[in-house]
Amino acid sequence: MMKNSVFYILFPLLLLSLSGYGQLDSINYLEEVFLTDDKLKDFSTGQSVITINDSVSKLSRPSLGAVLQFNSPIYFKENGLGMVSSPSFRGTTASQTAVLWNGININSQFNGQVDFNTINTAGIDQIAVRGGGGSVIYGTGAIGGTVHLNNRLSFNNGFEHELFIQYGSYNTVDARYNLETSGEIWSLSISGARNSSDNDYSYPNGRENLNGGFYNNAFDIGVAYKFRPRNYLRFFSSFIDGERHFSLIRPSESRTKYRDFNSRNLFEWESRISDFKSTSKLAFLDENYRYYENINSERFSFGESETFIARNDLEYFGFRNLQLTSVLTNTYTDGEGSGIEGNSRNIFSAAILMKHELTEKVTYEAGFRKEFTENYESPVLFSTGAKYDFFSFYTLRLNASRNFRIPTYNDLYWNPGGNPLLKPETSLQGEIGNNFKLKNFSLGLTTFYIDIDDMIRWLPGDGGVWRPQNEDEVHTYGLETLSEWRKQAGPGILGVTAIYSYTASKNQKTGKQLIYVPYHKATAGLSYTYRRWNFDYQFLYNGEVYTRSDNNSKYNLNAFTISNFSGAYAFGKDKNYRMGARVRNLFDEAYRNVEDRWMPGTNFNIYLNLNY
Amino acid sequence: MKLRRFILLLMFGSFLLNSCSEEDDPIIPEPETGAYSEGLFVLNEGAQAAGTVTYISNDLEVVENEIYQATNDDDLGTFLQSMFFNDDNAYIISNGSNLITVVDRNTFEVVGKVDSDLVVPYYAAVTGGKAYVTNINSFDTSADDFVAVVDLETLEVTHTINLNTAASNILEDDGFVYVQNSSFGTGNTITVINTATNAIVETIEVNDGLTDMDIENAYLYVLSSGSFETVDLTTGEVVSELIFSDEIQGFSKLDVEEGTAYLTLDNAVYSMQVGATEGPVEPIIEYSSNSQWGKMYGFEVENDRIYIGDAGDFSSNGFIQVYNVSGDLLEQIAVGVAPNGFYFNK
Repeated sequence: MMKNSVFYILFPLLLLSLSGYGQLDSINYLEEVFLTDDKLKDFSTGQSVITINDSVSKLSRPSLGAVLQFNSPIYFKENGLGMVSSPSFRGTTASQTAVLWNGININSQFNGQVDFNTINTAGIDQIAVRGGGGSVIYGTGAIGGTVHLNNRLSFNNGFEHELFIQYGSYNTVDARYNLETSGEIWSLSISGARNSSDNDYSYPNGRENLNGGFYNNAFDIGVAYKFRPRNYLRFFSSFIDGERHFSLIRPSESRTKYRDFNSRNLFEWESRISDFKSTSKLAFLDENYRYYENINSERFSFGESETFIARNDLEYFGFRNLQLTSVLTNTYTDGEGSGIEGNSRNIFSAAILMKHELTEKVTYEAGFRKEFTENYESPVLFSTGAKYDFFSFYTLRLNASRNFRIPTYNDLYWNPGGNPLLKPETSLQGEIGNNFKLKNFSLGLTTFYIDIDDMIRWLPGDGGVWRPQNEDEVHTYGLETLSEWRKQAGPGILGVTAIYSYTASKNQKTGKQLIYVPYHKATAGLSYTYRRWNFDYQFLYNGEVYTRSDNNSKYNLNAFTISNFSGAYAFGKDKNYRMGARVRNLFDEAYRNVEDRWMPGTNFNIYLNLNY
Repeated sequence: MKLRRFILLLMFGSFLLNSCSEEDDPIIPEPETGAYSEGLFVLNEGAQAAGTVTYISNDLEVVENEIYQATNDDDLGTFLQSMFFNDDNAYIISNGSNLITVVDRNTFEVVGKVDSDLVVPYYAAVTGGKAYVTNINSFDTSADDFVAVVDLETLEVTHTINLNTAASNILEDDGFVYVQNSSFGTGNTITVINTATNAIVETIEVNDGLTDMDIENAYLYVLSSGSFETVDLTTGEVVSELIFSDEIQGFSKLDVEEGTAYLTLDNAVYSMQVGATEGPVEPIIEYSSNSQWGKMYGFEVENDRIYIGDAGDFSSNGFIQVYNVSGDLLEQIAVGVAPNGFYFNK
């Protein structure tokens, strides 16, 4: 039943895609782009990378979770619109997806996760999603995959402003302003954004989403300065300040709220001397949250951590077709919180990466990383990848790696229950990818397998005290397909993208599929541009999920399909002003990602986007 | 919903629809009188989703899961903690939803709700038409725990008694209620409240590590991790104390029935006479469980039967087992998520 419905949804799309041969240059998911995080570009051999550009991300609500839900194979377990949203990437848990801000791991020190609804994407220039292991470069949590939030700075680009204002149902405001200016040796980018909503939609059962309002403010700045030949200084800073009231399922429940403040700062000095390129980085991350159990009280529980990172990347280009890189990082974290006494930890890591273009058609890479810390026993991590361009239209990709997720502050130090003897979760994983690229069509087909050991799970123990243990072993395997097609259709341009993933994620003790991991997820986007008009259709199919560990199907959450539609008109001499309107959940699907946590029905908004 | 009802109406006639309409149908056939009167209820705490109630007939032949959801187009809220009876009604306490749902104890049809002035309600004791409900309030401190006095006629909280210490189990005897002041096995006092005045009249000191208590024949039996004490309720004095041996201690649940104390330890049940001078040595029941953390999650002794609940992994349905007091297994029955209590509708 489940399989059939996916088949019907996907196949028309794929057939539609395969039949097209048009006039336009093809674009594809592996397109190389300039990123501040150059490791993503240089050391992803054998892996698939999806980049989501600004115009696509603007189709979604501004939160990172909303953008990725419609544009990646990642499944999100969202506790109602705007509430806590945690990812499952390739069947892994929420702390096994690493989020990198300009290459720096920003997963919470406390729970190892990122709540994807606390990140406003407005100040991010490019979002990229890489499937598979990445701990050699990105450290903890890079098992299911990595999500990259990158800023870009360009020189000699004059003066640009962008203003984007969106208003819609539930008094939802999404306002973004961005300024970019640059000269020959300097570049500056400033952006500010605010997103707020009363979020008081009605449930299919007649109740209303009570206490669901939220706002967040984001401010980002980027500066680059070329102070000598082959010497650049760059500085990036990001502040997000948010408050959410956690919505209620039943009116009698306690009203709670959550405030978070995060600041991320990165200073880089890049220098090229003969065949070397050295990039030294200093980063300071400040993570801060307060949870108010009772919205009317001043009492709160909290977590505060400060992380200082010093890092040097040294690249050597002296060999022909061979790139050698070392990455030395020292990470010092000082954190405390309710239930966690002040604790600091220091982690030193050394990684070495090598990439070799053996022939024009064959490239391979290898990398190793080892961490040195007193907090846990750290395994040697590795990553190897290769790609072979068999034909101009076909590339074979291979990648294998060992990755980990280190115990968090909560796991180690929570009082009572924290377990200082925990080992990191470790994975051994591999993938095989096939990329087909025709003139205006591209298709990526990836199969993956991940074996994760020593998974940390919190369980109630003696006297009702919960304690984390290295408890579970999970194997996940599956298939991801990414396809993209563009064609001149009639007088306009038609673009189609489609993603489908099949994910089996089995607890090895019970043989059961993990809860909240759907077997099937599919997304598609269709855009049609004709002169000054632009229409976009977004589609999401989210398969049935188990909510019980014994896979008792009686309690499954139904599969759902969501469609969004938007239309826009560009005006002004250079078409640089745009007005548009959207309908989300066009067919008023009643759906939930979590039991009893209903999502909104059909809702609307209008927007104005000015570039000048 | 309306459309579906309309189509069903066309197809099957009106008789089918009586069950799913509460107010607008004047001729609701009386449900079988006392459908649930000859048996017991198992309270299933629930996890992410709302908790449920399982009905089991006294002869253990009839088992119905999720009887509240089946009878009412509603649920009981999250994290069901306990249940109590008064007259014709049963009251189910949900601490995740600050809710007490009142149902007819024989049909399980909803009668009303206490849905304000409770903050993480836990256990209740009933006397004189009033329920004394312990509330944990903020999780980060036990200093704000309180007892809410609920008028069972109006379903309103009429008084709030601040405890200034932890609240958990609460028992009633002869117009006084006894509040166990311990949280997660830490604590050593019992607060005594006179329900005639709603005033705290006494604090009984017991041994550290208080885990459970029970009352029989004006004696309060107090289980701590290392001891078993007997309190004479007429004087409020500890009259005897049994210190467990080093080999067998750390008991967690207690039920006293007709002079016999039944105690749980991990996956085993022990028994001893209440006046015993030495702790039990051999278990009467040892059951096997895959659950690392939810063994013996519910425990009750009633009418010469021992009931235990196993919560498994807390994210799938658990089971209960019924034994006779000699320790022979009579039945194992699948119930809902995390069965934590047994309530007898005799």
